Amino acid sequence: MRAHTANRVFDTVNIIVLAAGVLLCLAPFFHIIAISLSSKEAILSGKVSLFPVAFNLEAYNQVISDASMIRSLGFTVLLTCAFTLSCMLMTIAAGYPLSKRNLKGRKTFMFVIVITMFFSGGVIPEYVLVRNLHLLDSMGALIFPGLINPFYLIILITFFHNIPSSLEESAEIDGSSHFRTLVSIVLPLSMPVIATLSLFYAVGRWNGFTDTLMYITSPELYPLQLKLYQLIQNNLINDLVQQEGTQFVRLMPESLKAASVVFATVPILLVYPWLQRYFVSGVMLGAVKG
Amino acid sequence: MSMTVYLRRYWQLYALLVLPLAYFLVFKYGPMYGIQIAFKDFNFFQGINGSEWIGLEAFKEVFGMRDFYITLRNTLMLNGLDLLVSFPAPLLLAIMLYELKSIWFKKLSQTILYIPHFISWVIIGGIVSQVFGTQSGMVNNFIAGLGFGEIPFLLDKHYWLFTYLIVGVWQSAGWGTIIYLAALTGINKELFEAAEVDGAGRLKRIWHITVPGLKPTIITLLIINLGHMISIGFERPFNIGNTAVREYADVLSTFVYRVGLQSGQYTIATVVGLFQAVVGLVFVLGANYASKKLTDESIL
Amino acid sequence: MGRKMFGKKMASTLLAALTAIGFLAGCSGNGGKDAATGTSGNGGSSAGAAKEAVTLKVEVFERGNSPAGMSVTNNYLTKFVQDHFGKPNNINVEYVPVPRSEEVEKLNVLMASGGDVPDIVFTYDQNVFYRYAQQGGLTDLTELLDQQGTNLKKFLGEDTLAYGKFEGKQFAIPAKRANLGKYASAIRQDWLDKLGLPVPKTTEELYNTLKAFKEKDPGGTGGKVIPLGMTIAPAQIDPLVWSFIQPTTDEQKFTLTQRLGSNDYPILLPGFKDALQFMNKLYNEGLMSKDFGLDKDKKQLYQDVSNGKVGFLSEDDTNLYDDGNKISSTLEQNVPGANLKPVDVYTNSEGKHAKPRYAPNGMYIMIPKSSERAAEAIKYLDWMAIPDNLFHMQNGVEGENYTLNENGVPVAPANVTEETKNRLYNSGDMAIISNGQQLGSDDKNREATVQAMSPKYQDKARESLKISNSDTFPPVLLSKPIEAQTKYGTTLQDKYFEIIVKTTMVKPDKFESTYESMMKDYMASGGQAILDERTALYKESK
Repeated sequence: MRAHTANRVFDTVNIIVLAAGVLLCLAPFFHIIAISLSSKEAILSGKVSLFPVAFNLEAYNQVISDASMIRSLGFTVLLTCAFTLSCMLMTIAAGYPLSKRNLKGRKTFMFVIVITMFFSGGVIPEYVLVRNLHLLDSMGALIFPGLINPFYLIILITFFHNIPSSLEESAEIDGSSHFRTLVSIVLPLSMPVIATLSLFYAVGRWNGFTDTLMYITSPELYPLQLKLYQLIQNNLINDLVQQEGTQFVRLMPESLKAASVVFATVPILLVYPWLQRYFVSGVMLGAVKG
Repeated sequence: MSMTVYLRRYWQLYALLVLPLAYFLVFKYGPMYGIQIAFKDFNFFQGINGSEWIGLEAFKEVFGMRDFYITLRNTLMLNGLDLLVSFPAPLLLAIMLYELKSIWFKKLSQTILYIPHFISWVIIGGIVSQVFGTQSGMVNNFIAGLGFGEIPFLLDKHYWLFTYLIVGVWQSAGWGTIIYLAALTGINKELFEAAEVDGAGRLKRIWHITVPGLKPTIITLLIINLGHMISIGFERPFNIGNTAVREYADVLSTFVYRVGLQSGQYTIATVVGLFQAVVGLVFVLGANYASKKLTDESIL
Repeated sequence: MGRKMFGKKMASTLLAALTAIGFLAGCSGNGGKDAATGTSGNGGSSAGAAKEAVTLKVEVFERGNSPAGMSVTNNYLTKFVQDHFGKPNNINVEYVPVPRSEEVEKLNVLMASGGDVPDIVFTYDQNVFYRYAQQGGLTDLTELLDQQGTNLKKFLGEDTLAYGKFEGKQFAIPAKRANLGKYASAIRQDWLDKLGLPVPKTTEELYNTLKAFKEKDPGGTGGKVIPLGMTIAPAQIDPLVWSFIQPTTDEQKFTLTQRLGSNDYPILLPGFKDALQFMNKLYNEGLMSKDFGLDKDKKQLYQDVSNGKVGFLSEDDTNLYDDGNKISSTLEQNVPGANLKPVDVYTNSEGKHAKPRYAPNGMYIMIPKSSERAAEAIKYLDWMAIPDNLFHMQNGVEGENYTLNENGVPVAPANVTEETKNRLYNSGDMAIISNGQQLGSDDKNREATVQAMSPKYQDKARESLKISNSDTFPPVLLSKPIEAQTKYGTTLQDKYFEIIVKTTMVKPDKFESTYESMMKDYMASGGQAILDERTALYKESK
């Protein structure tokens, strides 16, 4: 009985704490949405917190009627999909062999990879490489240099290690090739981590813009986050006023910035709920039994 | 087993490795000739290969700068505090989520808790000063309403550390749970049923089943985190920091940005980067070794 | 056996997918514009160049503010340039966007990697110009300018051109700045009226006025009054600090001023400490914005002003009355009867409202040594310098974008559409040789700025411009770059603002020790090196 009460207390506290956390995480997003729906005057005087003041849809009208925003959204979706798929294929291709503890040369390979987590050539040689490969100002420049994240690779290897080796061994005894073991046994058992890493890659690509600043020059190839960054950074830097004087620069209203943030964030936010279907417990158990 | 037999049996594994290794060689090792900038007086127009060798002169210059040591100290301090506070936070959160019985609440809160990760630091910085400001910040308004004096969450360096940590946890904890939640799916549910039959309490169950199930993931993340003790992102300290707390908020990344990149001194930036890389590698190898000895888990 | 076959199939599918992805991305790579191949392959462009049109690549700032349907590489002005300059000269003008906030970083990488650098690049950062010139990466334009730049030379004049010289050679073409004034102040006239106070005329009188604002709270803010609106942006700090600087000899001014980034700072000049002490007093008596140390982008300040909490502030000349910012109009909407009036208050020991002004140049336009189109580049700039062309690039089409008023100043017609206005959305970034309107006289240039405001605020804007241009002094002109300034500038700039914030916020009894220790750190971090170098340079030039 006592254990029962303790459990109930645990559950209640747990729910309350999590609910509070949920509210805290929701608030700033509500704030941004509220700003996107408010009037310039209300925003300037700091009257907007969680609810719109002088509600209007002007900002969204502008975002949606801007063909370049829609095109940019399309490009970003395509880019993110291509990137995530390529990255996952490459990471799995590297992760599976490297998860075999008895693979000859494994330690050397791992060392070669871990080095790249710390040492890099820097921005100039990387730019030269991308240029020499004729990738500048193309989708390839945003895909190839980031194909494998060593950190994610290590996570994948850790998860592969957790798969009971008895499963793979029995498959091998059956005469299954390594390719087949990977595809028909290891991958199905690893859906949660594959979903996780896909999410990591996708979000990283969706939110990343530093490489786009360097590699992309055509406005048609601006991903959403680059447009957003420029929009937000545009009015931020005071040095600019100092350097330029108060010459005419078309200012972007706060509500438009906020609407663009919402526009650029909501699509990627929806990915995780969709991926959650792969976070199913007991896959491993079923496999062992079967 | 002879080499031929070995290869006949394992060639497929090596075949899989061909493209990934080629990737690392071309895109990671290819540009590494850039490291020599650290030993050269870099001239933009002579390029990397054409610039003059200066030996260790740039290292001497960096190691002679007072700001270098201050920013190094701050980097270690902020990362150390993060390791104590922000590292365990997602673990706790993941366990709490895992313990939820209501599926819909679980899914909903998971999805919402990771939203802050998607808000850029520039925007977070703006929100933070609205929330924690002294003059009209929401928290201080609330405190004043209770009849207490205001707290300089952002302007006093000690309070600022607190703010920095809290905001970091808020921003990253939800995101960090994802990996643990993925790991938790691997735990055999029968163990829980057995524990229930034994009449073990919730905390006991968590401690004896859930946490051990997460151990490999925790250790992997910890090792990698230790490897990055000396490197720190630019965005968070820059956007949460301010002039009044520069004493603590100035870190290696802002130092490199200011001294190296803004002033066009790529040599300095490369020297600091190389220093961070060497220390990072030593840390990660050390942590890996220690973990192998202590827990038999390792990433290499 | 069948199983094995299946496995192999899966594997080959996997591998095929890998290569396919690579192929796909590679293809789209070729589909995009191939920036790497330089000038070749622009056959299919719309310029309709029949013979061998050459391509001139010109940098343009990307600020992410393009209106729908336009981009920095394709808009009304790019078409105008192509039609009126490109076609007649058989030149294809191609614009290369460079993100405004990463301007220097991107330029550095482009320069260092050789190859696809635009033929015309520019920066506002003097140090970047010096660095490039010093490392031998720029084309010497002295001769080209004589041969092909008659209009350009005439437009800029020797004064401005002098700023683009490095070791006697013309390595850059500095843009001409139209309006040199920087700062004006403003006070809540309605508060003064309510309290029956006169407009303060000196810094001392201002102190008393601020105290009265604090004590009597004429705005009825319920104790939330901020008598002096302050931030850590130069517009709020500079006018106050410089008014405390003592009259100096030319030698002192030359050796003790420190240029960090693109501005002169008075940190070593006599009187700087008094300025800090004054700020310390204001802060500790609750007379200025409490969170000024957090307010880099003036957001909090604008919020406080428009909510009617602020009594007095200094700001970039016409910003308070600008249509884009809407500060005054929002204030009047929130506090009916509020009247934010331009004033000139801060006064130095000589009774002057001394404040800094801009150097007569804007950005530094450069042609990299690697460029093969230096002649065309100068031709382009020279074309732009022809008054009609520049006027069109800044003002658009007569009758649509503007009409000339009786003084010959362009005025926007009342019914101008958003679409017409958007033609010129980045005219400041396209008309690179000029910073601001060039109408032939300072008065006209200023009037053009005034006319861009809504009629309600034109008088106040005019007054602000008058204030920002009175009692100003120019930045110290250096005959050659100070290396220590290039090297330590950004670090010391951060430290400068740190000194201001720290010494202002500290309790009065700790002021002295804080000031001492921070100055020591400043000097050790490069301040002394700059001082030494400037002193040596002064002696040298004597």
